[in-house]
Amino acid sequence: MTLSERIDELMPLVQKPSRYIGNEYNAVMKDASKIDVRYAFLFPDVYEVGMSHLGMKILYHTLNKREDTWCERVFTPWPDMHRLMSERNIPLFSMESRTPVKEFDILGITLMYEMSYTNILLCLKLAGIPLYAKDRTDSPIVICGGTCAYNPEPLAPFVDVFTVGDGENAIHQTVDLMKACKQKGFSKQEYLTRVAQQVEGAYVPSMYDIEYNPDNTVKSVTPKPGTGAKPMVYKALVNDLTAADYPEKLIVPYGEVIHDRIMLEIFRGCTRGCRFCQAGMVYRPVRERSIDRLMEIAEKLVSATGFDEISLMSLSSGDYSCLPELAHEMVERFIKKRVKISLPSQRIDAFLKDTLKETQKVRKTALTLAPEAGTQRLRDVINKGVTEEDLMRAVTDAFSEGWSAVKLYFMIGLPTETDEDILGIADLAAKVRRCYFSVPKDKRSPGFRITVSASVFVPKPDTPFQWCAQLDSETVRHRQLLLKQELDKIKGVDYKYHEMDVSYHEAVFSRGDRRCAEVLKAASDLGCEFDGWSEMFNKDAWQKAFETTGIDPEFYASRTRSLDEVLPWSHIDCGVSIQYLKSEYQKAMKGEITPDCRKGCNGCGLMRYEGACR
Amino acid sequence: MKLVYVFGKEGRLRFLSHLDLQRFLMRALNRTDLQIAYSKGFNPHPLLSLAGALAMGYESDYEVFELRIEGSVSKEYAHETMKNALPEELPIKDVFFAEDNHPSYMSLVRMSDFTITPAEDFEAVKEAALKFLEMDSYMGIRRTKTGEREVDARKLCKEMSISICSLKARLMLTEQETLKPDLLMETLCKIADISVPQYRVRRNALLGCDDCGNIKLITDL
Repeated sequence: MTLSERIDELMPLVQKPSRYIGNEYNAVMKDASKIDVRYAFLFPDVYEVGMSHLGMKILYHTLNKREDTWCERVFTPWPDMHRLMSERNIPLFSMESRTPVKEFDILGITLMYEMSYTNILLCLKLAGIPLYAKDRTDSPIVICGGTCAYNPEPLAPFVDVFTVGDGENAIHQTVDLMKACKQKGFSKQEYLTRVAQQVEGAYVPSMYDIEYNPDNTVKSVTPKPGTGAKPMVYKALVNDLTAADYPEKLIVPYGEVIHDRIMLEIFRGCTRGCRFCQAGMVYRPVRERSIDRLMEIAEKLVSATGFDEISLMSLSSGDYSCLPELAHEMVERFIKKRVKISLPSQRIDAFLKDTLKETQKVRKTALTLAPEAGTQRLRDVINKGVTEEDLMRAVTDAFSEGWSAVKLYFMIGLPTETDEDILGIADLAAKVRRCYFSVPKDKRSPGFRITVSASVFVPKPDTPFQWCAQLDSETVRHRQLLLKQELDKIKGVDYKYHEMDVSYHEAVFSRGDRRCAEVLKAASDLGCEFDGWSEMFNKDAWQKAFETTGIDPEFYASRTRSLDEVLPWSHIDCGVSIQYLKSEYQKAMKGEITPDCRKGCNGCGLMRYEGACR
Repeated sequence: MKLVYVFGKEGRLRFLSHLDLQRFLMRALNRTDLQIAYSKGFNPHPLLSLAGALAMGYESDYEVFELRIEGSVSKEYAHETMKNALPEELPIKDVFFAEDNHPSYMSLVRMSDFTITPAEDFEAVKEAALKFLEMDSYMGIRRTKTGEREVDARKLCKEMSISICSLKARLMLTEQETLKPDLLMETLCKIADISVPQYRVRRNALLGCDDCGNIKLITDL
């Protein structure tokens, strides 16, 4: 029986077989015998999450444009499936050709979330690939990229190469070198040396020595002599997004996925400078795609996929320089085809009214706004740069344009937060409610609803809060309860909050060092997987993993660092300079704001990159 | 005007659920240039329907979906544009037009023909099938979302023939009276006193009755 037939045998035995069917519409099929480099692209979560990930779509497309390369997708099988696979000795396989992952030249993995790290180890095990990079000789080269690559250290022993920054060009460089090295019969080490020296944003962790201080902090990170590795790794940057590759076809999944729509990235980066936001720092500078290019892509994607919704994506879509014009053109062009246009990530200070009117012509969903903090003082600390008036104006506009549902996003545990800031959240919710009722009855839509969603703040690397301690669990729980009590008093409010345990572990690994890898290994051996799924998170197993490895999670999550400490990721340059992050941290502690850099350069450090900032 | 497609469901796509298939067909239609008609009303939806739901894991030679379109197209064009929008595992077998007032094909279904191919124990199943055909009645338990119900499996099996390695069965498929291939297999294995082996199921036809009571393909009614 072939591997594919053996996989088919499992289909009646698992939930959602459509996760494993493959062969979806627009999936790329090639003749493996005519291919020089076979690239397996692993998403360390289940199919329907991975199929909603934009980065994977972009890289899949750009790699498969090459005739010499075949990029295939791999997803983490849900536990029901991977248990059966293990029982029957079925290795982790690719979706397109159902080839064992072990047979590929490169295994690319996207790191979008710290809590997916154990899934990476799970997948290596399922693939039959040794976990530690040093133990691998005839296995695929493991290359990780994505947001979490900015602090690669907790995964360093398991990974051959990290690529930091935009992947569109760097991924081709890794493939070009692979092709050349295969032709010349070079060893893995020879390949890695070339990658470290020639690929933009490439970091080969085995080429660095880490020394520690007696107090357990990092003393230094230095390239090993003779490796030629760079002392500082600068992120890869694609300066012109209009010219950059973007998919013209998208795979149409059979089953339902999280984002069942066309994702159109209208720009990358953000100029706002919110101090808690890692994406806002590491994806700088802002690079917009032109309206013409966006219309061209949208047109092609609608006819290639049959999706009935286009989402205008970015970190802050309201900031697109010609948003009303773009929204208007999109709606005009697609209204006949009944394609809806949606705008996620609304900011409350962007000029929304016209755009809302446009997008709502075809669809009216809940308006999502993120004030992040309940008081002006705290919003200034985090440099959110919006005022209560902005929020009230935005919701009043929305309510008078026929919206009746609002989602408000907040964080609990931001630096300097007090109980008063939490009471401020409830106060804002009450004021939003009053805005709704201030709109005359005949002008507003019925069905008023506010959802207040509060996540727990996790300090992230490469942000001005990278030195801060995460708020302790007890205080977080107290404030979650306090907020619940206050919101219960307001009619029409739903309250959603995140469990502290997952956020705590996220905080450990987001700022962890290389020693944390042993905890991941121990946790994985204890069966930890899909940790980002709260029902799957096994707190006891994690606790045991920390105990057996002697690693103190508090050291990583709950410790305030001094500004001169060598951070585990200090050899990775994210674009924004350390000096800038320090000055932003100091301003935060004084409650001083930093204006949007479109109003004048704040000197964040991106100017050091050629052609990046204008 | 109504446009009616007869299509197959093959290979790996047999694992597509009914809901997934509906969603997939909707997107496939969006990829064509057909002008699909939408319902009037507050929340317009495309006027598209499948004649029958096929259980996950079954293949089929004969699935039917109908849709309303605005304006007119040629049969050849309707075939070609849909074929281009569908994967090979959903092959189009036939396309034709029907009047707007033609009853929905779903409402015409009375029974369905299936081919059931056990992976092993065929001899035992065959013996049981012969015994089953001799009986007047055989009660089995039909499990549905709403609970369990006792049904007469023998009465709901209108015909059955045995070929080299498979059974061909004509089973009732109406709201009140339905016998699924799974229950038939369970019944036969109970008679044979064996545990149910793995088996493949393929639908061959959806059938209805004309005014004189003759059994015909629903697309011939």
